[in-house]
Amino acid sequence: MAAASTVTAPAADTSRLGALVRNRALGKLLLLAVVAAVLIPIVNAKWASGSWPHALTVDLTGPLGKTSDWIIDNRDSHPLFLYFFGHISNAVVICVRGVYLVLLAAGWAGVTAAAGLIAWRVAGLKLAAAATAAFLACGLLGMWVPTMQTLALMIVAVLASVVLGAVLGLAAGLSDRTNRALRPVLDTMQVLPAFAYLLPVVLVFGIGVPAAVLATVVYAAPPMARLTALGLREADGGVMEAVASLGATARQRLLTARLPLARKQLLLGLNQTIMMALSMAVIASVIGAGGLGDRVYQALASVDVGAALAAGIPIVLLAVILDRTTAAAGERLGAAEPDGRRLHGLSGWGVAALVTIAVALAARFAGRIDWPDTWIVNIADPVNNAVDWMTSHLYSGVPYIGGTADWAGHFTTWVLDPVRDGLQGMPWWAVLLVVAALAWLIGTWRTALTAVLAMAAIGVLGVWKPSLDTLSQVLAAVAVTLVIGFAVGIAAARSERVELLLRPVLDVFQTMPQFVYLIPVVALFGVGRAPAVAAAVVYALPAVIRITTQGLRQVNGAAMESARSMGATSGQQLRQVQLPLARPALLLAVNQGVVLVLAVVIIGGLVGGGALGYDVVFGLAQGDLATGLVAGAAIVCLGLMLDRVTQPTERRAKKGA
Amino acid sequence: MSTTVEKAREEGAHTDAPVFSVRNLWKVFGPKADRVPGDAELAGLSAAELRTRTGCTAAVRDVSFDVRKGEVFVVMGLSGSGKSTLVRCLTRLIEPTSGGISIEGEDVLGMDKGRLRALRRHRAAMVFQHFGLLPHRTVLDNVAYGLEIQGMGRAERRAKAAAVVEKVGLEGLEQRRPGQLSGGQQQRVGLARALAVDPEVLLFDEPFSALDPLIRRDMQEEVIRLHREEGRTMVFITHDLTEALRLGDRIALMRDGKIVQLGTPEEIVGSPADDYVREFVRDVPREQVMTVRRAMRPADADEVGRGPAVAPGATVSEAIEAVARTGFAVRVMDDGRCLGVVDHARLLGVVAGTGAGSGVEAGSGTDSESGAGAASEAGAGASASASAGSGDAGSDAVADVTPPGEEVA
Repeated sequence: MAAASTVTAPAADTSRLGALVRNRALGKLLLLAVVAAVLIPIVNAKWASGSWPHALTVDLTGPLGKTSDWIIDNRDSHPLFLYFFGHISNAVVICVRGVYLVLLAAGWAGVTAAAGLIAWRVAGLKLAAAATAAFLACGLLGMWVPTMQTLALMIVAVLASVVLGAVLGLAAGLSDRTNRALRPVLDTMQVLPAFAYLLPVVLVFGIGVPAAVLATVVYAAPPMARLTALGLREADGGVMEAVASLGATARQRLLTARLPLARKQLLLGLNQTIMMALSMAVIASVIGAGGLGDRVYQALASVDVGAALAAGIPIVLLAVILDRTTAAAGERLGAAEPDGRRLHGLSGWGVAALVTIAVALAARFAGRIDWPDTWIVNIADPVNNAVDWMTSHLYSGVPYIGGTADWAGHFTTWVLDPVRDGLQGMPWWAVLLVVAALAWLIGTWRTALTAVLAMAAIGVLGVWKPSLDTLSQVLAAVAVTLVIGFAVGIAAARSERVELLLRPVLDVFQTMPQFVYLIPVVALFGVGRAPAVAAAVVYALPAVIRITTQGLRQVNGAAMESARSMGATSGQQLRQVQLPLARPALLLAVNQGVVLVLAVVIIGGLVGGGALGYDVVFGLAQGDLATGLVAGAAIVCLGLMLDRVTQPTERRAKKGA
Repeated sequence: MSTTVEKAREEGAHTDAPVFSVRNLWKVFGPKADRVPGDAELAGLSAAELRTRTGCTAAVRDVSFDVRKGEVFVVMGLSGSGKSTLVRCLTRLIEPTSGGISIEGEDVLGMDKGRLRALRRHRAAMVFQHFGLLPHRTVLDNVAYGLEIQGMGRAERRAKAAAVVEKVGLEGLEQRRPGQLSGGQQQRVGLARALAVDPEVLLFDEPFSALDPLIRRDMQEEVIRLHREEGRTMVFITHDLTEALRLGDRIALMRDGKIVQLGTPEEIVGSPADDYVREFVRDVPREQVMTVRRAMRPADADEVGRGPAVAPGATVSEAIEAVARTGFAVRVMDDGRCLGVVDHARLLGVVAGTGAGSGVEAGSGTDSESGAGAASEAGAGASASASAGSGDAGSDAVADVTPPGEEVA
């Protein structure tokens, strides 16, 4: 009897718990409704206003402006700058200048040979050929010098990011406490748009190369740190135990087992750091990075699509080559060494170095250090002609389908404007309430609180309206992204052929820096909010498609098989088995889509997207750092809010932009 | 009398102190685990009760045993019985909660970091269920890893490792990576890595559970061969009864962290200590484990001079074959003396599992005889001697191989 009761008691418990779980969403909403019913009349009576009440804003422009002025006045005299920031700044300048001079001294032939040989050593012949071709293409497009500027900045920034990230990752990987402290910071840093990092460094270092490098380092180091920590923590427990059982010291365990076991993650971290560094090095042109990004930036400012494309193509080529080379290095680890096919170890590298030097010297004696002007192919004019033709023929008036500019105009009028006006017309407390409800439904009360506080902070900063403008663009872009992304993702998951066709396209798109996406949309849609949204959609789509496809494909085969065996149609299988089981992946796709879209919508400020992104650019251009900083802070808050609202429980390790 | 003879023989074979001597060992996981072993009330609780009362799990409960030099000591139990925790406690990969462990008289729990490291480096090496190989190293470097840890030079350790690689039958695969090997080959690498440091004792933690049955059999034979060639002491953890019976000189059967029976394979199968053990060994082919010594009865006058002869250590299945071939009862002969006979009824009794009791009674009659026989029998090993006689003498033998404080429940 007693035994029976102990058996039934837990069963009853679980069923009650089950009922609770099922009703938890409802419970949360009810609780929220009660809280809202009490609070809203009070706040409405006190600060009745559609937009964020003026009484609740804190104007930071004054103090921020003063701080900025103080820093500018004291940059050359205050000890903090003289002995700390000054040294950092000088060191960065010297490093970048040094690398740049080496690259110039090697000449185009030397650099191209070095790139090809490095790719050959770490990734094989195919990539070596691709790398050589890519660098030659940079020269052909007349972009050799800017490419070298960007490369010099990248090399310094990547080295610094890798060192910084590895040190942080090592600390977090070996100490639980450091990990707990560091992880939320790194997680949050990874969801913030690149633009948010620009202004604080500009405030301290002023516009120039040091600010650009440091912004890049801050942006690019987190993935290295995260993946280092992850790799060290995930070391196979069985191997670590075996190593301990043989009497290894702590140092031996780290050096001979834990680090080597983590090498795949370390290389993935390197890959992501390089990609993020490239992305940021290009964006940082708005704070004086120079190089390719600057060319694109200048060209976009004058809507010179041809020039922008000439600078954009080298960026894409660099991105693809860097990504493939580091990825191939990662894949080759642990795989069998094809003995005798390649020169091994040091001797191979020695040969590579010798060939590089020989080629560089040969070019020097031949008097061909600089890329010969006669070899430059000018693509700007033909491209601009093509764009002009498009402008006159495709922008509007195409029979039946209208034109691209018409589409953009309609999208703005029928989608963006109503959403923006709706958001801005909503009472401010209603916006907070919606944010709270969404965040609480998907997460815990903590996520809800973070999200609401982040949203409220935007109001307090006094940028409620532009933030909602940005938000409206994000929402519209996310909606479009998800509709297209899920549709294509499902198609790719159900058809091998579609996936095979898509894969190379997605591979290239996922490696391109955000900035580059602005070029084609300007060509197609001109400037405005719609092009910004279009760029965001195109940028976020690959990740959403890929996560959706993978999520659907990884659905438990046994579940699918049993559904099939019961005679479910393929539609039923999709709706009743695949989609429900792939729910975590779909939620992750939403989260990623939102984060990526926000990043590009902000950058869209450069092509007439307005709102927060424009404030940042305006602040930088006018030296009005206060405006820019407030907008930057609002971007951080918006990013935090959007991430929390869409982030289900635990975030996974992901391959971000 | 038999016990003194037994002891003399034991001492003759194993003059040294036990390799491992474990006394009243406890390992409790959970909050404030220290209080459980000392508290008589908590210590007496069942696993489930202990969990609800304290939130603790006692993986190893008051375990004592000795591992003698040169024997294969098997710890067997189902998953969750605490056997893997137990073997990890031996080299303090898991820190025991209380109790005592000594290796050749030296206190393991009192060792400082350096001494413990020396113990792990030179004296006890372990083979793991999931191999625990370093994926980025070649087979040769994996095998040499233990030597590298010790600080041995590259050329020397590689030469040693190459010799061991050959010994476990992996020659030709030295430059492969673990990922390119089959499971059985990987475990050979694990075995070679443990052998390379030339330890006094090899610890095996379910080394063959992850392997296919045929490969598992190969590997078991490999271990038997190594043991025969080198005579190295082995502690072998397994959940597979067949494996335990095949490899073990002695078997400790664990349940819920306790040792429920410790004895030779024949004792475990022939005289299960309780219903749990009986249930456990029910399906064992008894004729392959039991020896004729245990099944025989005193010979009649006319039986002494007739029928096929077998040694006392022969298995019942061998006797069955002889009986079937000749039609006569088998004589158990030792040094030209007839210790007893085994006829159809006895053999069937063993196979059916009904004959053990009668075997015990009959055995007591030939007690002194068989004891003397065992004393003069050099090669039969501990299993035959410890089970000699059975019955009262048998339980004596069990008590003899069971260290003080150990309860054969």
